[in-house]
Amino acid sequence: MLAKLIVYCAYYLKSADGYRRAKLFFYDLLENSHSRKKKYFDATMIGLLILSVIFLIYDIEHEDSKMGGYFELAILMVFIVEYLIRGWIYSDTYKVIIEEYEKALYLNLDFNLLGVFRKAFVRDIEYITSPFAIIDILAILPSYRPLAILRIFIIFRLFKLFRYSNSAKLFADALASKRFELMTLLIFTCFLVFIASVSIYMFEYQATDSGIHNLFDAFYWTIVTLATVGFGDITPQTTGGRWVTIFLILASLGVLSFFTSILIAAFSEKMLSVRESRTYAELDRYDNFIIICGFGRVGQEIARHLHNDRQKFLIIDRVPARIDLAKKRGYLAIESDASNNEVLINAGICRGASAILCITGDDVINVYVTLTSRHLNKNLRIISRANRHDNVNKLYQAGADNVIRPFEIAGLLAAEFVGQPVAFEAISGILHNQTETVMESVLVSEKSPLDNQKIGQLDLQQRKLTLLGVISDNPIHLKHKNKYQVNQQHFYFNPEVDFILRHGDMLVLLGRKYGIDHFRDQVEQRRLFSRQPK
Amino acid sequence: MKNIAVFGYNRLSFEAISRLDKELYQITVIDHDPAKAALARENGFETANIDFRSDDDLKLIGIGAHIDTLFCFFDTDSENVFLTLSARALDKALNIVAIVDSPESAEKLIAAGANKIIDPYEICGRKIHDMLKRPDINDIFDHTVFGRHDLHLAEVAIPENSYLENAHVSQLHLSSQYNLILIGIVNKQVSERLHFVAEEFDRRLSVGDILVILGPSREIRAFKKDVENEFCKI
Repeated sequence: MLAKLIVYCAYYLKSADGYRRAKLFFYDLLENSHSRKKKYFDATMIGLLILSVIFLIYDIEHEDSKMGGYFELAILMVFIVEYLIRGWIYSDTYKVIIEEYEKALYLNLDFNLLGVFRKAFVRDIEYITSPFAIIDILAILPSYRPLAILRIFIIFRLFKLFRYSNSAKLFADALASKRFELMTLLIFTCFLVFIASVSIYMFEYQATDSGIHNLFDAFYWTIVTLATVGFGDITPQTTGGRWVTIFLILASLGVLSFFTSILIAAFSEKMLSVRESRTYAELDRYDNFIIICGFGRVGQEIARHLHNDRQKFLIIDRVPARIDLAKKRGYLAIESDASNNEVLINAGICRGASAILCITGDDVINVYVTLTSRHLNKNLRIISRANRHDNVNKLYQAGADNVIRPFEIAGLLAAEFVGQPVAFEAISGILHNQTETVMESVLVSEKSPLDNQKIGQLDLQQRKLTLLGVISDNPIHLKHKNKYQVNQQHFYFNPEVDFILRHGDMLVLLGRKYGIDHFRDQVEQRRLFSRQPK
Repeated sequence: MKNIAVFGYNRLSFEAISRLDKELYQITVIDHDPAKAALARENGFETANIDFRSDDDLKLIGIGAHIDTLFCFFDTDSENVFLTLSARALDKALNIVAIVDSPESAEKLIAAGANKIIDPYEICGRKIHDMLKRPDINDIFDHTVFGRHDLHLAEVAIPENSYLENAHVSQLHLSSQYNLILIGIVNKQVSERLHFVAEEFDRRLSVGDILVILGPSREIRAFKKDVENEFCKI
């Protein structure tokens, strides 16, 4: 009976929208490093922590301060709630229950409630014993006043700071990457300390006025000397002791420089990936950006245009000199190999990217990147460059939406220029926005005043616009002549005056930029006004 | 019949030559690489074996004489600049089309006397940008004007005694009579600039004006024929 109730509850939670949303909200707040909420939350918590430590220290100096007590209590509540919520979002108990229940149902076994609880409990223990959770608990403890000894855990409250910034992780990672070198150095240093401590002890123990009375003094002196601190509270008195000192100082110079060089190497290596992750972090803020693979001449040209349009984009190239050039121009750029899945995923191919351009000079790379991108994201727009004619079909097969052939386009334009220079200049001027006259499309939206209107009624001549044609996928227009198949749609060239527009159609207009914009605005305004009376 | 000399046989020149109508143009391909010249011969183009560095050789193939247009399609910019300079010295009226590899060379080619510079990378970059920003219009052009569909741009000059002489633009009615769209007009007497029809006041056509029209090739042919026919009336 109880088991049934629990399973029912589990199913209820699974379908409950509010529950799921609440969980998602807290996940965004506490764990999702891509979320903006987490950043604000982390900043608030850091502020609270510092305040709480200040109050605790104040408490140590002044017993019985009332204000500090209340504040401490409030902070404590926040910490406890945070701890519990983290535990809550760490595991989905209802999922465990449902899974076990369905398994039991499938295998025709009895539903073992105890087993389920054990599993859920194991997950909870997993959370409780995770390092950050332990720090969290230790940060809560010092508030328990009756046990004064727990005050020592204030330090742990400070450790909690690391939870809200990833600088500590960075530092630890940098050191961990040099584990082998550091280990070697540590062993060497241990030997050095051991030898120096024992020798100074032997020489100095019996000397008069010597500060070394036991082995710990000798060890203390060795460390102070080794670190080149040299307080001078203990100084060697015997000649033997002084020789040991000379030897130790020379050796310690080597140890320190070795240690410093390891650290510098570790951090400079780490800085590269930090800078890369900063680039990624900046991308996180944008939707709808474009990934450009290859920053050669073509890539530079596109980047220049996109930059002018204020469109966000990311450049990936393997050549350091090109990445330097891109950065110099203020573009986001990563020196990496775009054929690597991980690089593309980090670049946000499944998150915010709307298109990827594979435009390196090497067709092999272009095909490979196209294939990888299509595999990672089915809906992405992929434009690829084919440097050889035979590779066009391969790129389409690999999943490219558009394939462009630089040399063929240039050849075509050269031929066009020889044949009809005037027409050529006209069309290339329009196409590339070099003239004031542009070609743009205007959409006939639903309930727009253009809907169901005849072309003849549009009064385009008065507006100084030329209608070239209509793009539409509406089968109702198919009876008209002069249609040209363009992808899944038709382009109706020079439509007759009794051509009736339907919503979803697109007018292709030629005219001044502001003329077209004005026309579009007017249509939109009239659409909005005509809706109001309803 | 126009005569074109093509220097440098590569993907770009192959594409350009194959787009040109064999019946209207006499094409000669020149390449200093014997293998490429052989390839051009294999593909059915007339080739000439000359050294482009020598003015005598250039004269030999007809530069300064019957060659109207020169394509400088070598792979290196320095060779193109040299060729442009030599050819311009031989013939002031020659139409020189050159490609550039690096953008700095464009100015040098213009200074050397080229009429038209083609930068394949720049064109490609602009084209991709267009694909991203205006996919609809880009698609239309790819499929129609530049593609296999029968929709072309053409320029029609108004000859003497044409019925269009002194006619007003508004009287043309190209879209209803011929299924053509008039894009713009160049008034050769005034300037080379193209005036777009939509934004201009109603103007009177005169001999020598060039009409830029868009439409199916059959209609373009019909219109051209009528323009030249002095007895045709509006």
